[in-house]
Amino acid sequence: MSKFTTTLICSFGILLFASSQQDLNFLLIARNTGEKILTNNDTIRVFGFAQSLGEQPGVPGPTLEMNEGDSVHIDLWNVSQGAPHTIHLHGLDVDQQNDGVPHLSFDVHHMDHGYYHFKAPHAGTYLYHCHVASTIHVQAGMYGLIIVRPPNGSNTTWNGGYEYTQEHSFFLSEIDTAWHTDSVLLHDHDSTLTIHQVEIPKFDPQFFLINGLSDQQLIDSNTVFNSAVGQIDYTRLTNIGFCGVRVIFPPELNARIIASDGRPLPAEEISDTVYLFPGERFGVLTDPSIEFTGQITFDYIDMNTMMVKNAQVIPVNISGFAGGNEVEIETFDLKLSPNPFKEKLEVEFKLNQAEGISFQFVDFSGRIVENVSLGNFDIGKHTVVLGEKLPSNKPYILKIFGENGIIQTATVVKL
Amino acid sequence: MLRKSNPLRVALLAVGVICAFSSYATIVSDTVYLNRGTMLAVDSTNIPYFAFNNTSVFDRENERLFLDVDDTMELLVINTDSLTHGFDIKHYTGVNSVNSVIPANSSILVSFQFQEEGAYIFYDPTQSESFRYMGAGGMIVCRSPNANIHRFFWNMKDHQVLFNENLNQGIPVDWTQYYPNYFTINGNSNPYINEDSDARVTGSVGDTIYIYMVNTGQSLHSIHLHGYHGEIIQSSKFPSHVGRSKDTVPVYSMEVVILKIVPDQPGEYPVHDHNLVAVSGGNIYPNGMFLTMLIN
Repeated sequence: MSKFTTTLICSFGILLFASSQQDLNFLLIARNTGEKILTNNDTIRVFGFAQSLGEQPGVPGPTLEMNEGDSVHIDLWNVSQGAPHTIHLHGLDVDQQNDGVPHLSFDVHHMDHGYYHFKAPHAGTYLYHCHVASTIHVQAGMYGLIIVRPPNGSNTTWNGGYEYTQEHSFFLSEIDTAWHTDSVLLHDHDSTLTIHQVEIPKFDPQFFLINGLSDQQLIDSNTVFNSAVGQIDYTRLTNIGFCGVRVIFPPELNARIIASDGRPLPAEEISDTVYLFPGERFGVLTDPSIEFTGQITFDYIDMNTMMVKNAQVIPVNISGFAGGNEVEIETFDLKLSPNPFKEKLEVEFKLNQAEGISFQFVDFSGRIVENVSLGNFDIGKHTVVLGEKLPSNKPYILKIFGENGIIQTATVVKL
Repeated sequence: MLRKSNPLRVALLAVGVICAFSSYATIVSDTVYLNRGTMLAVDSTNIPYFAFNNTSVFDRENERLFLDVDDTMELLVINTDSLTHGFDIKHYTGVNSVNSVIPANSSILVSFQFQEEGAYIFYDPTQSESFRYMGAGGMIVCRSPNANIHRFFWNMKDHQVLFNENLNQGIPVDWTQYYPNYFTINGNSNPYINEDSDARVTGSVGDTIYIYMVNTGQSLHSIHLHGYHGEIIQSSKFPSHVGRSKDTVPVYSMEVVILKIVPDQPGEYPVHDHNLVAVSGGNIYPNGMFLTMLIN
C-alpha cells in the first residue's frame, strides 16, 4: 500500500471519528416550587430540574444522554428564589471548576446562569445532582441520570464491549415527607457564603422510589421488564438515595454484573444479586434462557442497621424468542378499566383479524393464578369481563394470548 | 568444566542467605493503652469513649500500628480502665489466636504477623463489641518496605450519643434502632478532618496514593471521590473486587478497603460519605464525613 493511500485512509478514519463526536447543549432550569404526587395521592413540595419554564421539575430530573468524546455544555439557569444551586457531575471526574461544589467551584444564584463544560469520558452510567447543602437538596429531588454511550452511539456497553438489544434503567431513591416542608427545604442561606450550615431532620423515609415512583404508581406506570428468550438486555442501576439497595434478578435472566461507576469490571460477576450503596452505579447484562414471568426485587436497606426497610418490585415478562416472529401489538388497542379494580375488570381490545384469544393472570412470583379461554373473536372491538375469581389485594400480570403467542401484557391490581 | 566446591565458600554463602532472610523478618515491639475518656464532637458535645492510645493519656484518635510483611509485632496492651476489656484482630488467620481478655488495670502481650501487605483492624471485642463501637478500634498497617507510595489513613466511625451514654453506664441498647448523629475520620469531623495530615490526601499529579480505609463504626459508609476514580487494591469483605475502578466505594462495618489513586489532574476535590446524612454532625450539615483532596 502506498504512503499516500495509507495517509488518505488514516485521514478519512480520523475525519469519520471526529465527525461522530458532537457539541451537545443542555439547559437545566433549577426550580424549588415543584410538586410531586406520591403513591398515597399526597402532594409534596420538591426541588428539581426542568428543561423549559412551563415544565414542572421532575424527580428524577431529565436524563442527559451523550456519546463518549462529545463536548458537553450545560446551562444551569436558577429561577428559584432562596439558596443557590449547582450541578455536580457525579463520577465524570471533571476538573475542579466544573465539579459543582460551591466553595471549590461556583454556585448559581437566583436568576443567574452557570455554565458547565466537559468532554464526555468513558461510556457508562453517571448522575448529576445539586451540591449546595446537598443532604437537603438531593432529598428535595435535585438529581438526574447521565448516560454516556460509546463514540458511535450504538447499543453497546462501551467501545468494544457487549452489544445489547434493549436497555432498562432503574434510578433508586427515597422520600421522607418530613423533609419536604418549607421549614426544611427553605433553609437559611447567606449569599456571601459558599458553605451553608443547615440543620437536617432525622431521615426516616416512607416512600421508596424506582425512577421516581413507588408501589401503586409503579404498577400504574406499567413499568415491566419485557424481553425475549435469548435477547441480551442491559440494565443500568443507579442509587442516589440514602439507603443501600439489594437488587435481586430472577435466576432465569442469567444476570451478569459487568460494569460499575462508569467502568467495565476487570472480571464480570455472575450473580442474580447486586448491592448498590449511595452514589454507586452498576451495569447488568441479562440473557433469559426460558419464557417466564417473575419480578425484580429492590430491597431498601438501612445504612445503620442493615435491616431491610422496604421492598419494591418490577414485573418481568419474558415471552417469545429473540429474532422470532413479532406480533404487532399497536393495533390491539388494549384498555383496562377500572385498574385497580374491586370485583370485575373490563378488558377492551380490537382485532384486525378473527382469532382465538385467551387470557392468563400470573402473580408476581410467577405462579399462574387463572386461565381464561373465551374462544374465537371476530374482527373489531370487543369487551370482556375478567378477574372475578382472583384473590383480592394483589397485583397481577395479565397476559393476553392470540393464536401465535402473547399479544400483550399489562399489570393489573385487584383491591 | 566444573569447579570443585570450596567448603568455606559454601558456609559463607549459607550464613549470607540466613542473614539476608533474617534482616527482613524482625520483631517490632509496641505498646498501646486502652483508655476511657470523652470525645469532644465537632459541636462540642461530649461523647463517652474508649480508645487505644500510645500513652495512658486519653486521645480520641486510636493509635495506628505499623509493621512490614513477615515482621512479628509484639504488642503490650495495657488496660487502664476499671472494667475488663479485650483485644482481637479482625479476620486474623495467624497460627496463634490473638483474641485476649485484659482484666481491669492489667496488661497482656500479644504477638502477630502478616504475610500480605494491607490494613487490618484491631479492636476490643468485649461485650458484643460494644466497647469497639464506643471507640476502641484501630488500624494495623502492614507495608512492603521501600515502596514509593503516598499513604493516608482513615479510621471511620459513627456514634449516636445516647447509645454511647447508655453503654457507658452498662445499659443495653437496641441496635435495630441505631441512628448515629456523629461521623468521624480519625476522630474528627468536617472541617477538622482536613487538618489531619494523615487523613487529608495531598500530592501531585502522577503520584501513587493509597488511602487505607477501615470502618470501625457500626454503619456502612459509602465513600465517594470527586475528581478521580480509584482502584480497589484490598477489600477484606470482597477480595474479588480487587482491581475494580470506582468513584464510590462502600466500606462495611469492621471491614477494610484500600484505594489506589493516581491523580491525572490538579485541583481540590471533596471526598465524602454519599449517605448524605453522614455528612452531618449533631444534625448540622456539613459537619460530618467530608474532607478534600488537594492535588498540585
